[in-house]
Amino acid sequence: MTHPFLSIRNLRKAFGAIVAVHDVTLDIPRGEFLTFLGPSGSGKSTTLYAIAGFQDPTSGDVLLEGKSLLAVPSHKRNIGMVFQRYTLFPHLTVAENVAFPLRVRRRPDADVKKKVADMLALVRLESFAGRLPGALSGGQQQRVALARALAYDPPILLMDEPLSALDKKLREEIQGEIRRIHRQTGVTILYVTHDQEEALHLSDRIALFKDGRIEQTGTGEDLYLRPATDFVAGFIGNSNFLAAEHLGTTNGTTTIRMTDGSVISGVRANGTFGKGQKTRLMIRPEAFSMERSPASAELNVEIVDIAFYGERRRIVARIAAGQEVDIRPTSAMQSQDVWPCSRQVFFDPAAAFLFPA
Amino acid sequence: MLLDYDRMGWLRVALLGFTALVAGFLLLPVVFIVLLSFGSSRWLAFPPPGWTLKWYQELFADPAWLNAALTSARIATMTAILAVAIGLLASFALVRGRFAGREILRGLLLTPMVLPVVVFAIAIYAFFLRLGLGGTTIGFVIAHTVLALPFAIIPIATALEGFDKSIEDAAIVCGASPLEARLRITLPSIRIGIFSAAIFSFLASWDEVVVAIFMASPSLQTLPVKIWGSLRSDLSPVIAAASSLLVGLTLALMVMTALLHRKFRT
Repeated sequence: MTHPFLSIRNLRKAFGAIVAVHDVTLDIPRGEFLTFLGPSGSGKSTTLYAIAGFQDPTSGDVLLEGKSLLAVPSHKRNIGMVFQRYTLFPHLTVAENVAFPLRVRRRPDADVKKKVADMLALVRLESFAGRLPGALSGGQQQRVALARALAYDPPILLMDEPLSALDKKLREEIQGEIRRIHRQTGVTILYVTHDQEEALHLSDRIALFKDGRIEQTGTGEDLYLRPATDFVAGFIGNSNFLAAEHLGTTNGTTTIRMTDGSVISGVRANGTFGKGQKTRLMIRPEAFSMERSPASAELNVEIVDIAFYGERRRIVARIAAGQEVDIRPTSAMQSQDVWPCSRQVFFDPAAAFLFPA
Repeated sequence: MLLDYDRMGWLRVALLGFTALVAGFLLLPVVFIVLLSFGSSRWLAFPPPGWTLKWYQELFADPAWLNAALTSARIATMTAILAVAIGLLASFALVRGRFAGREILRGLLLTPMVLPVVVFAIAIYAFFLRLGLGGTTIGFVIAHTVLALPFAIIPIATALEGFDKSIEDAAIVCGASPLEARLRITLPSIRIGIFSAAIFSFLASWDEVVVAIFMASPSLQTLPVKIWGSLRSDLSPVIAAASSLLVGLTLALMVMTALLHRKFRT
């Protein structure tokens, strides 16, 4: 029987009465870029630290190629890690920092030299080899930390919000670097972030954490287009939740009634609902269109405000019940809107999701 | 702020004058001693009728003085080593440890700084007499180490608090054992605190006189004890010369500490 490359089995971690991780089970194939995404306190970092060996789980197991890692101390797990804070050794130069893991492994001098040069080339900091960390920018420090973590060819690289201390522009730049390095080295990466854009941009798959459990695991598209729960729908991307009443589901076609009495057929139902059950319909702002198309449903709204954002317009509208709706249709080249006004906006029911209220 | 230096106007001049006065009052006796050590008057007349180095010649010619200086240096060095070693371990416990009674331990370790030295001296004298440690180098070093510990713990603990433990964790993930990570990464990162601790504990022993008087024997005298003793038998400018050397080394070490701090800051 073949084992999954890295396997997290029923992991649980309690700090006294507080349970940080309830029950996490996950298989990660070799070479995957998997992101633990979730709000702070959702257990994603604790799970990562259990894999690194800095937290002993209360129960459950972490297996690498079928063998448990739990009895192996951190320094013998041969795992690479980049931390949220800058962790370069302040008294060592950039080259000495990258060489450190090789030196403690007693590698021959010539090997160390070559590997350090390779690694600094990988993160494009060759000319900084002789500098001390204090003379580097935050982004450069994290790139050196990445080089140090990869210098000993670890099978797994853990990254704990490595970019959260950097500004937006630098963050995007280093995200590109991380993607390139992942492709170039083929290392398996477990990446922790609370930034959904970062997760979508970087990952092969995303595990969305909530309250110490994984809410959904899948590609960015899975989570965005096929959210399993309203939490996923609300966390990934922008979303509007509108109250609706479930009228019935026949032959897989779900029909609902909105608060203004209009009836819509063909929305996607997550789970089964009773007749007359109160539900919420989730519609992405960009799923709305200002023009009717054959399959579209309609929503009566009052336009309150329109702002131009380049490729999109952002429209604030209000339904009869008073709730505000966020609408971001693609900017039509010729359209000249006036507001306030009452009108209909349109959406494809198949791109709207029904969740329990 | 109400008392902002930049907004004080003419008061600034008054403040500067007052500060200079206080500093002068504190430092003048030291300056006098140094001047007298170069003065030619046998009776420490001021201003000196002439200048000479003969008191220093006398000082270095007398084996008793030399011995006292060497004893002081030896005891201070051993005290510094011991205080830094214990201070290092204690600092890790106080900064990183999570155990009941940690604050009590911190208080106990720092007590020698606030306890009247004479009380401590009498207590340790009576205790060491019973153990047979009175008048021994070991006894001296132990007593001075207790006094020096607060001066070792404070700079090391401060440096350790300012050191991000994630850096040590990073070294461990890199493959270093916890001990190796501490020796190769943590200690070098807090070395400024360790240097300061070494210098301060050296000085705590080097210029300590009260405990030393109780611990000393005719054959084991530190420089401050010798100065004290000579002062009572005959008032000679040699004492001024010895005192000047004592002050000189202290000053040199303080300047060194300041320079080290400046170097590490940049």
